[in-house]
Amino acid sequence: MAVMNSGITILIQPETRAEALAVFDKTSQAHAQSNFRKTSLGIIAFAAAVALAAHVSQFDLMRLITGLPRIGDFLSGMVPRLTADNLWADLVYWYWGLDKWLYLLWTTLMMALFGAVAGTTLGAIFSLFAARNLGAPRWSVFFVKRMLEIARTVPDLVFALVFLFAFGLGPLAGVLAISLHTLGAQGKLFAEVNENVDMRPLEGVRACGGSWLDEMTVGLLPQVLPNYISYTFWRFEINVRSATIIGFVGAGGIGMELYEAISLSYFDDAGAILLLVFITVMLIDIASEALRTKISNVRAVT
Amino acid sequence: MLKLHKVSREFGSTLALRDISFDVPNGQFVVVIGRSGAGKSTLLRTINRLVQPSAGDISFDGSSVLNLRGDDLRRWRASAAMIFQGFNLSSRLSVLSNVLVGSSNETSQMRRLVGFYTRDEKLRAAALLDDLGMLEKAFQRAESLSGGQQQRVAIARALMQKPKIILADEPIASLDPLSAKVVMDTLRDINRKHGISVLCNLHSIDTAREYGDRVIALRAGELVLDAPISALDDSAVRGVYENAEEHPACGKVTSFCAPEFVTTVSSTDTNTRKQEQVA
Amino acid sequence: MSAFDITTALDDSAVKRLEAAIAPDWRSRALRWAYGLGFTAVMIYAAYVSEVLSPKIFIGLPKLGDALWLMLQPSGFNYLPEFLWALCETIAMAFLGTLLGAIVALFLAIFCARTTFPLAAFRFGFRRFADGMRTFDHLIWALVFVRAIGLGPLAGILAIALVDAGTLAKLYSEAIDNSDPKPVEGVRASGGSWLDGLRIGLLPQVLPNILSSTLYMWESNTRSATILGIVGAGGIGYQLADRLRVYEFGQASLMIIMIIAAVYLIDMLSGWLRRMLIGRTSR
Repeated sequence: MAVMNSGITILIQPETRAEALAVFDKTSQAHAQSNFRKTSLGIIAFAAAVALAAHVSQFDLMRLITGLPRIGDFLSGMVPRLTADNLWADLVYWYWGLDKWLYLLWTTLMMALFGAVAGTTLGAIFSLFAARNLGAPRWSVFFVKRMLEIARTVPDLVFALVFLFAFGLGPLAGVLAISLHTLGAQGKLFAEVNENVDMRPLEGVRACGGSWLDEMTVGLLPQVLPNYISYTFWRFEINVRSATIIGFVGAGGIGMELYEAISLSYFDDAGAILLLVFITVMLIDIASEALRTKISNVRAVT
Repeated sequence: MLKLHKVSREFGSTLALRDISFDVPNGQFVVVIGRSGAGKSTLLRTINRLVQPSAGDISFDGSSVLNLRGDDLRRWRASAAMIFQGFNLSSRLSVLSNVLVGSSNETSQMRRLVGFYTRDEKLRAAALLDDLGMLEKAFQRAESLSGGQQQRVAIARALMQKPKIILADEPIASLDPLSAKVVMDTLRDINRKHGISVLCNLHSIDTAREYGDRVIALRAGELVLDAPISALDDSAVRGVYENAEEHPACGKVTSFCAPEFVTTVSSTDTNTRKQEQVA
Repeated sequence: MSAFDITTALDDSAVKRLEAAIAPDWRSRALRWAYGLGFTAVMIYAAYVSEVLSPKIFIGLPKLGDALWLMLQPSGFNYLPEFLWALCETIAMAFLGTLLGAIVALFLAIFCARTTFPLAAFRFGFRRFADGMRTFDHLIWALVFVRAIGLGPLAGILAIALVDAGTLAKLYSEAIDNSDPKPVEGVRASGGSWLDGLRIGLLPQVLPNILSSTLYMWESNTRSATILGIVGAGGIGYQLADRLRVYEFGQASLMIIMIIAAVYLIDMLSGWLRRMLIGRTSR
């Protein structure tokens, strides 16, 4: 008896208490040894990985320590001196470019919105051909899935650099890049959602003579739509963050302005823009999360 | 000897315990009865010092335990071993690791952090598990055991603490009748063999009569009965559990309420609330 | 005429009654139209602002075709060792950044969780602090760190660590707050210290969750780290942006293939580690 876990089995029937304790003692030692082996192996492997990574990335603790105060200086340089008795004038001076920045921020939001909706819509269509259970041929499932995975793995900034070559500077390259990346991410996600739906409504539509398109619109869509909408909002939150940085390479939005401010050492401008971005992102997160939970509650009731 | 003198505890504006005084000589099996919310659980937690009383004094063998801090407090908690209704084991750890937690006062903080225990400590834990018929399960995860088995592991942990008194807070409330009997028999064995006092909160009057030497009853935080178990006749039980109109909190629990005191309003109330939660 | 063709058998008043029964009321119909039109208008406006509705798109399409054609022919294999080294740097950055972020997040999470930190006002502050860290994208922090401590992977590691510390602190503290308080109480009641409560009562409960979110962040960071080089924060992003800016699409394509392969590998490794670590028992 006494089948102990982690593969250590002892096949002695203990008769007396002393024997039972002896069996326990042996098993306990075996456990301690096997634990020790596993733990030390794990620690050595982990330490080796850390050491290797530190070597490859030239991680230098001294440089980090000497650099930290400079980060502090940098961050404090982002907020200009604001005096209490002249606060309004100071703020106006700090936000001298407010009109321009607000306009760029608005463009950024619109890029994120368009990317989220266009990417999600296309992703939803592609996901039909990447799901195993919706009648798409096997080669299409494989091929579309790989394409979606590539679109999801390649960062939107890389797409943006390619599109810049074709369409020149400006938001077009950025919004296409964001849409393409969104398409990949949503398509892969939705393919998984599709594979988990209840197949009975679809069979019902087919059984009364509906076409494949009828199956999708009547059988599938009502099941997955709340989910899709919820994910669209979530994607919008992510895209707002992406759209703020896509301008780093010149593909539209506030990023271009932010990049210039930081690289040309206009720290107070950078601080002003970052604060605007921070507030916008916070507000959008809160609003979008509220809408998302509202939609999923709707789903729970119906 | 455990001595409580005018112990009170309030949570916000509600008085959970009011002027509770009694002594427990060594070796006695005391059952504590009363409605849910009457303060039974708070009473045991106060003795273990998981809850700090607002007034009064608790002493053991002549020295007060209320002002203990740090290691002294930990030592007192170990000697007043708690057993909980929900077992309160670390469910992903092995049975053995859970029992070894009871040796907190004999091991250094460092050793407990890395989980290193000596062979002797492990053997002592094993002997206790053997006494309770749980030795074969020593290397299984606590969560893989049945409720009755988990409670026996919790008792082994309590014994590992070398307790002077055992505080059992409704130890059988979530067990099936057979496991409940095993657990109660175990507590009585410990009480008889080692002369360790047991203070046990119970919901079942029959069990109280079967195992207790003495009964203490609480009603709305007040001590209403302290007598030998033979005094717990039906009229005494009614005195403890009835009089709902005096205690509005009574609507909460109905297991021992006479039917006429279970107001229909409160029961539909809980029902709709449950439905809302499910929805 | 089929026996199932009902409408011919009904008189006019009966048809009207049926129509009235299935017609939606005008308010919900109007509301639906308003939503639809409003949404379409917003989308057209968004497309206009994003320059999607401009002739640029038609002028650019042939050029995009050229770029894609070139990308179908990966080239620059003589640079392979250089690219590989840069890719290793990216992977190392993601690993160290996640590790550093996880360590910081562990301490931060204890101050963000109700279970482990009772002072509500301070907890609120710590939570907002963690939120603030993950509001900005990695790339913004990377740019800031490059300006502050110079070019190289260190800036990238710090950027990843900072965003991760915020994200993981949130995830960890949620795991802690969702844990069962009873085992901790059990340890405390048997004479264990506060630290024992965390180590024996809490840690075994939350560890699987913590490991799982950390591995997930590691995978996600490997993707993010590939572009940090664009602002000079180390890794393959630098070469990739460099080649794309001079329209070397063949070489860029080779790097993209390498990145995809590396991301797959890390995903597989992470999945294996997840099964190994979380499948395992006790202590």
